[in-house]
Amino acid sequence: MSDGGYLRDRMGLYLLFLAVVVLFSAIVLALPYETVYVQERAYLHFFLVLIIICVFVFLLGTLYNVLLWMRGKGLRGTPERRLLQLMARGLRFAFAKRLGRAVSVFTKDALYLAKLKERSATRWLMHLLILGGFIATFVLDLIVTFSLDLLRYQPMIEEDGWAKLWIRDFAFDLTGLMMLLGLLIAAVRRFVLKPKIVRTELPDAVSILFLLAVVLGGFILEGIGIAGEIPGHRMNNEYSFVGYVFSLITPASVDQYYDQAWLIHGVMSALFIAYIPFSKLFHMIATPIAIEVDGLLSKEVSAS
Amino acid sequence: MRRLDISKLDVLALMRYDACTSCGECTTSCPTGGEAQDVELVTPRGKILRLREFYKRQYGLRARLLGPKEIPEDQLKELTSRAYECTICGQCKTVCPAHLDTIEMWENMREFLVANGLAPLPPHEQIVKSIENYDNPWMQPRTQRARWSKRIEKDVRIRDALRERPEVLYFVGCTAAYDPNIRDMAIDTARVLGKANVDFGTLGNEEGCCGSTLLRTGLLVPARRMVEKNIELFEKASPSTIVTSCAGCYKTIRQDYPKVGRVGARIVHISQHVNELIDSRKLVPAKKVEARVTFHDPCHLGRHNKLYEEPRKILEAIPGLKLVEMERNREDARCCGAGGGVKTAFPDLAQKISALRVEDAEKTGADILTTSCPFCYQSLKDAVVARGSRLRMLDMMELVRRSAIGD
Repeated sequence: MSDGGYLRDRMGLYLLFLAVVVLFSAIVLALPYETVYVQERAYLHFFLVLIIICVFVFLLGTLYNVLLWMRGKGLRGTPERRLLQLMARGLRFAFAKRLGRAVSVFTKDALYLAKLKERSATRWLMHLLILGGFIATFVLDLIVTFSLDLLRYQPMIEEDGWAKLWIRDFAFDLTGLMMLLGLLIAAVRRFVLKPKIVRTELPDAVSILFLLAVVLGGFILEGIGIAGEIPGHRMNNEYSFVGYVFSLITPASVDQYYDQAWLIHGVMSALFIAYIPFSKLFHMIATPIAIEVDGLLSKEVSAS
Repeated sequence: MRRLDISKLDVLALMRYDACTSCGECTTSCPTGGEAQDVELVTPRGKILRLREFYKRQYGLRARLLGPKEIPEDQLKELTSRAYECTICGQCKTVCPAHLDTIEMWENMREFLVANGLAPLPPHEQIVKSIENYDNPWMQPRTQRARWSKRIEKDVRIRDALRERPEVLYFVGCTAAYDPNIRDMAIDTARVLGKANVDFGTLGNEEGCCGSTLLRTGLLVPARRMVEKNIELFEKASPSTIVTSCAGCYKTIRQDYPKVGRVGARIVHISQHVNELIDSRKLVPAKKVEARVTFHDPCHLGRHNKLYEEPRKILEAIPGLKLVEMERNREDARCCGAGGGVKTAFPDLAQKISALRVEDAEKTGADILTTSCPFCYQSLKDAVVARGSRLRMLDMMELVRRSAIGD
């Protein structure tokens, strides 16, 4: 390949990457965050800068890992060119007839984990709680941010608005609880029961404990907010049913540390995102892709 | 410093290494890593994590920023040896919750090891030499390949496929053609086809190894030569159907040959063909064979090709024969231990695994253990003898021949 083509391939991919990062940063920096209850705005700004850096690291790590796949045999051109071609093919695929099958494979095997259910009901439940909770929390986050900061949707802002009570309070607690239960099952299985098939090395332990700390941190923060009657936590607190339980064991005086607790939770969440591509948690991205590939590209070997 | 060449790993394989959740589901059911011996590195998870660790040391982000790290030669050799202790039975593919196509991964891993100068293992090198020199892995002269047919040349009309171009080409395979203890498999197959008046022939001494042994051990270059040669012969013979009695040949011709060239004929295993003959009443298994029989699913037929029901239908069609299933059957069947070059390089390990399978068969209370693959047959028969088992090991075509023709 000529130098021109070599550069063009790389430029194309990295410009696209940069565009995604810039777009994400612009959105993060442009939002007003009027409903973030943290008093110390410097904490908020620190968090915003950190989340941009962490998402950048996450994207970079993911891109690097995917480019490593592209170094294998089976495709032509530079890894960057191969990836661009596959992305273009993926876009075309979104409008192809097989999209229905792709969605069905994704739902049944990557989300519902049908094969794991056949093997072990406990592990299936554990995985489903963690994965389902994680995805649902992410989706809720997007919905809430969009309706709060862009739409200024009043029922999501008012203390007794239906959306505030059922989405921001109840649904977030429910998805958090799902993750918490799943992670507790995983922790008990890995550190207490220790079945023969489980192999625990430092990265495995770190992944579980890190996510557990993030989720628990969220509930502790909510408990502090409710106990200290921070704005947004002054009425109808029973909708935040898990945070409410935490508030019962939290002295009201700790409300002075709400900002610090908020920052710690934010920093841990951001670092967790950055950690994903460099840990076993990268399977959250690679496994669904592998399942799709298996479902769509694998040879039909039926003997008939 | 040895720099691993990861361009020999498939794009999909590299993705799958990252997709492994290291859940360990594959470790207990792995016949070589989990059942016959408890060695993590032999298990699918062990191999995946180790190879991933190795290539990330040289190509991961840290390596990119700080420079690649050397991988000690003894660690590479250990991984190589362990990678060849796998029979590529595909049990791990069946149980993997992440849907990883481990069969492709192991074959590609071996190709990678060969390309990086770490393999083949010495016992496999001998096979390569034999195939290169004699067109078979058994160091037997080419002129002896069709000798098995001499015994029945008066009873059965076996055509010269290259000159007479019969409708059906029977691809005998090296083991049935050369191994004196397995030859009856070819003879019974030919007699059954003859009884059903099938217009069939063989490539005689021209037939070459299908290339399965080479492909399963990662030796793609010599395998390609064999495949091309056989495809050329298939073109000359131009049959409408190619029948194999070896599960390994069946998998290779059906799945691997199309990657090299076009095979115009329909490729079927003898169990499919005989089942069709019985269904169409061209073959009638009329004589009673009073016994309880259990069927061992060869990996290359079952998990690799999803062919489970035809052999069972045949056995059920034989009067007097009662089919009893082993606890682990069909997709969950335990491997016989011989595949993937294990019997050649690690005969003791292969024997341990085949003993476990014979134990499975004994538990059914069957009188006969049968299968439809010469390699499985050979391996299980050895285990039956070694264990002093009361089971009789019979090839499925022998049962069909007894019922359709007689003793």
